[in-house]
Amino acid sequence: MADVIVLALVVICFAVAAGYAAACDRLLTRPVGKDVSL
Amino acid sequence: MTALGWLQIAIFIALVGLLTRPFGGYLTRVYGGQRTFLQPVIGPLENTLYRLAGIRPQAEQSWLQYAVAFLLFHALAILALYALLRLQLMLPLSSPGLPSVSPDLALNTAVSFVTNTSWQSYAGETTLSYLSQMAGITVHSFLSAASGIAVAIAFIRGFARRRFATIGNFWVDLTRGTLYVLLPICVVAAFLLIAQGVPQTLSASAVATTLEGSMQTIARGPVASQEAIKLLSGDGGGFFNANSAHPFENPTPLTNLMELLLIFALGAALTNCFGRMIGPERQGWTLLGVMAILFGLGVAVIYALEANGNPALANLEGLRTLNPQQSAGNMEGKEIRFGIAGSALFADVSTASSDGAVNSMHDSFMPLSGGILLGNMMVDEVIVGAPGSGLFGMLLFCVVAVFLAGLMIGRTPEYVGKKIGSSEVKMTILALLVVPLATLGLTAIACVVEPGLAGLGNAGPHGFSEILYAYTSTAATNGSAFAGLNANSPFYNLTLALAMFVGRFFVIVPVLAVAGSLAAQPIIPRSNGTLPTDRALFVAFLVGVIVIVGGLTYLPALALGPIVEHFQVLGGTLY
Repeated sequence: MADVIVLALVVICFAVAAGYAAACDRLLTRPVGKDVSL
Repeated sequence: MTALGWLQIAIFIALVGLLTRPFGGYLTRVYGGQRTFLQPVIGPLENTLYRLAGIRPQAEQSWLQYAVAFLLFHALAILALYALLRLQLMLPLSSPGLPSVSPDLALNTAVSFVTNTSWQSYAGETTLSYLSQMAGITVHSFLSAASGIAVAIAFIRGFARRRFATIGNFWVDLTRGTLYVLLPICVVAAFLLIAQGVPQTLSASAVATTLEGSMQTIARGPVASQEAIKLLSGDGGGFFNANSAHPFENPTPLTNLMELLLIFALGAALTNCFGRMIGPERQGWTLLGVMAILFGLGVAVIYALEANGNPALANLEGLRTLNPQQSAGNMEGKEIRFGIAGSALFADVSTASSDGAVNSMHDSFMPLSGGILLGNMMVDEVIVGAPGSGLFGMLLFCVVAVFLAGLMIGRTPEYVGKKIGSSEVKMTILALLVVPLATLGLTAIACVVEPGLAGLGNAGPHGFSEILYAYTSTAATNGSAFAGLNANSPFYNLTLALAMFVGRFFVIVPVLAVAGSLAAQPIIPRSNGTLPTDRALFVAFLVGVIVIVGGLTYLPALALGPIVEHFQVLGGTLY
């Protein structure tokens, strides 16, 4: 039973990490407005 | 302090400097896909592996594909190592009476070695079978180091490439790093360690009769092969519980120097590789200069503090003359064969890098020395760091530095020809903030819940330092232990595993995102508005940014631990 819980924990953690990567991708591709740097 | 002690430190720094350029050149060839002198031997093996795995070496990946491959590989690696530890009783090379590892400890250990942390809540010689040590711990030391270097190389490509949609191929970088870099060096190092007396055997523990007539069991095993990659990988997980303080892991002052060089060699060389891949090599030397300044300051202060001994003991009448160890400095928890200088140097190297191997007990260092060891890890281990993670950590601080410089003096925020825009800064800040969030958040929880307090070996600020050190070490993927904290409980095994998970994957994903964003940009030619990032001014500025960012984030926690303990020691209170 403990092994099944651990397996589930690992799957959940990596699913969160994959979601995090997708969120980073969205953040990168989102338009950020006019560039005012020199 | 002695002249010999300072000489020892100076020789080590000089040797690292001498190795940096040739190693950097070799790394550049390996990751540039160029032919190396090992090609005739390793090339066929490399090609066979690609064929078996169905990998097309020329097919490159976008940053997101690279990140997904990285995550997938590590998920499978954690499950494989977990299964090996849980089933070790039924597998070959298991010692009689050695049980399988409990689920929480197996998860902690699997996450620990797959994330290149090597936090050990167990004693290796009494917990793991030879198969678990060789096929589990040692194999994952190779793979975790190779994957860390792969990420650093992908990050470098982000700076070096212009208008690219890809940052390399994770599987190729992983394979080439393992075969061309880690394996050859480890084979040579393992033989040198064996020549110095480190055991390499599959024989069971020896049983000897002591001079007093009692029986003693002496653990041994395939130590040398694990020791070499333990140090080179920035992993640090020892075969024995005492790690590099154990005479079978680190028998002589010569092996001590070798081990120190193995820990720093690749991390330092990657700065040179960075310089070569982006163009001007000076940029790499600038980063190494920043690392050298921070490292030199740390080791000098630790050496001075430890050599002066413990003032609370010195004040006890007659102790300084009666106790030769105190007259030699604070020798508690240190090996006589390494002395104060060898121990201070190893401790600073171990925490400045992400290695976490120890040849002395950090718990027994003076409080402010312990604070410096914590500080080394709190600044994301950018002082050389582990192979890969040290360089990309330093490059993240470079991004912050040029951004801050741009805000302060009106310069265009750009670094080595790449414009640093809001997207890159957001990703960088995300990568830099998740580690303190995990460290301080989990430390706070452990300080107020019963299972957290139950593991403490000491009260007061020293006890707080033990908890803070554990979460700092794991979130920074260092893995060294302060000692004094019994972390082999479900609470600590699970929360420390979480810290390691966050500290590795939640940092590397935004790092790869920055790499992808930078690779897509053109190279901006230098202009009058460009901040020179290969000059002494930038070195000083970058040192300031690293110290201030680390200081502002962690100073309150350090004040509650090592700083208040320092004043209590001056007042005669010991923990």
